[in-house]
Amino acid sequence: MKRHPLFIMLGCLVLVLLLSLSLGQQTVNPFNLDPLQLKIVLDLRLPRIVVALLMGGSLGVAGAILQGVFRNPLADPYVLGTSSGAALAAAFGLLATQGTGIWLVPGLALAGALVTSAVVVSLGRDAWGVRAERLLLAGVGMGFFLSAILMLVMSLAQADGVKRALLWMAGDLAGADWSVVPVAGLLMLIGFVLALARRRGLNALALGDEVAFGLGLEPGRERALLVLAASLLTAAAVALGGIVGFVGLMVPHGVRALVGADARRVLPLSAIGGGMLLCLADTVGRSVLPPVEIPAGVVTALIGAPWFLIMLRRATNGGMR
Amino acid sequence: MSSLRFDQVCFSYGNAPCVVQFSCNLAKGELVGLIGANGSGKSTLLRLGAGLLTPTVGQVELDGKPVRSWKGEERATRLGYLPQSIEAPLPFRVGELVEMGRAAARKDHLLSCQEVLAAVGLDGHEQTPLSQISGGERRRAFIAMILAQGGKTLLLDEPLAGLDLRYQYELLTLLRGLCQTHNLTILLSLHDLILARNLDRLLVIRQGQLLADGLPTEILTQQLVQQTFDLDPRFQVVGIGE
Repeated sequence: MKRHPLFIMLGCLVLVLLLSLSLGQQTVNPFNLDPLQLKIVLDLRLPRIVVALLMGGSLGVAGAILQGVFRNPLADPYVLGTSSGAALAAAFGLLATQGTGIWLVPGLALAGALVTSAVVVSLGRDAWGVRAERLLLAGVGMGFFLSAILMLVMSLAQADGVKRALLWMAGDLAGADWSVVPVAGLLMLIGFVLALARRRGLNALALGDEVAFGLGLEPGRERALLVLAASLLTAAAVALGGIVGFVGLMVPHGVRALVGADARRVLPLSAIGGGMLLCLADTVGRSVLPPVEIPAGVVTALIGAPWFLIMLRRATNGGMR
Repeated sequence: MSSLRFDQVCFSYGNAPCVVQFSCNLAKGELVGLIGANGSGKSTLLRLGAGLLTPTVGQVELDGKPVRSWKGEERATRLGYLPQSIEAPLPFRVGELVEMGRAAARKDHLLSCQEVLAAVGLDGHEQTPLSQISGGERRRAFIAMILAQGGKTLLLDEPLAGLDLRYQYELLTLLRGLCQTHNLTILLSLHDLILARNLDRLLVIRQGQLLADGLPTEILTQQLVQQTFDLDPRFQVVGIGE
């Protein structure tokens, strides 16, 4: 019984992958390609699919971590502002070096995510610890602020800076290529393995620091390691494709509805689910209005924002504290 | 041989003294109640006992060693602690909670997952999300988690709060049974003086100081209750002797 959700999700993933290979400006049959179509699929669609899978997977896992660690079902890297922090730091790197060195952008994104996490947590806590609502407001506020600076930096930098900034902040995968995949993939892998290794801490922190302590854990240490894992994953996602919201928010909820809240199952399935959702969003974005491409982040926001509001309503009615 | 020992323990939050010169020995197999007004230091005492807080003066010993000197897993194997406020913002299932308790301790478990759930009256609810059960059932699910840890010393902060009369008695009966069959030591805070009479021993505190310590039938008098809760002397508590 336990394995069913995994198989169902892998089945859906295969369908999404086939759909994503087939659809776009030009519809192709992935099982019967002529040389030109093969070139389209290999050079354009495949890297884009891989980027979407890694990026969405990172966001899904990061969301699952942050929701547990901060005991807040509405947390994710976008809402908490860490995506914006990572993007701002990475943008400085891009502008300063014109994008040389494969480590620079992911590295700066990681630094930005870590610093933003630290600031948001310190703003979101009072003498009694981290407060759910306070943390959300701190995150949203920081996110706005950092996004504004990102716009400012990009528009001061060069003529087409604003457009680039906008595309990046909207989570556009059209420019996806293989260049950042190795480093971002590595960051994602480290973050994922770290989170999975601390799954007991993640489960226990979701029940509160006192319960976690009673279960023999050090809440502060577990939280720091897990926030580090979430920052690694956020940095990977931002380096791959900029800022995409709501994937990290929605995916873990769907997964928990299927398999319960145990991190041992939620983390891997959030990775698959996140990759699948972003890949689907990107496919929809590039196929519904050709030749116009709607950025994947816009598609996820169009689905995710109303869903966020429904969750917010449910959470306040159900007594989120 | 005591399992938990408070030795001249003092604790203050900032400048406000909260526990003052508190000493007591909890013997193995004892079911002990902690009685006191709101803000009298009950929760703080339990936190000190669990090692969450360090005494400013004095010592808390678990199985002969300062409680804070046990390593996390060792401590969790010996001592279970249930705080007063239990919230699960994520939809954990009852069985997942019990698994967390089992995973926290070394593998020689006292009770199986099924036994633990049966003990708190939640058998058959392994797959039920916590969000779909009542507040009282949720509390029992958390108690199941603490029991699954298999510690011989349990500190429970108002475990009866939010339970109806039947489950209050059933839980107390369960805890008493565990004390007798498995030689558990249990310290729990409670407000119900009638229920408190079913315990082996009561510790009564007022403003962080131990006011009385002994058999419930012997120490629970109108005078003690008035003093403990700062009651008007004309107020008589039903069911308590002179």
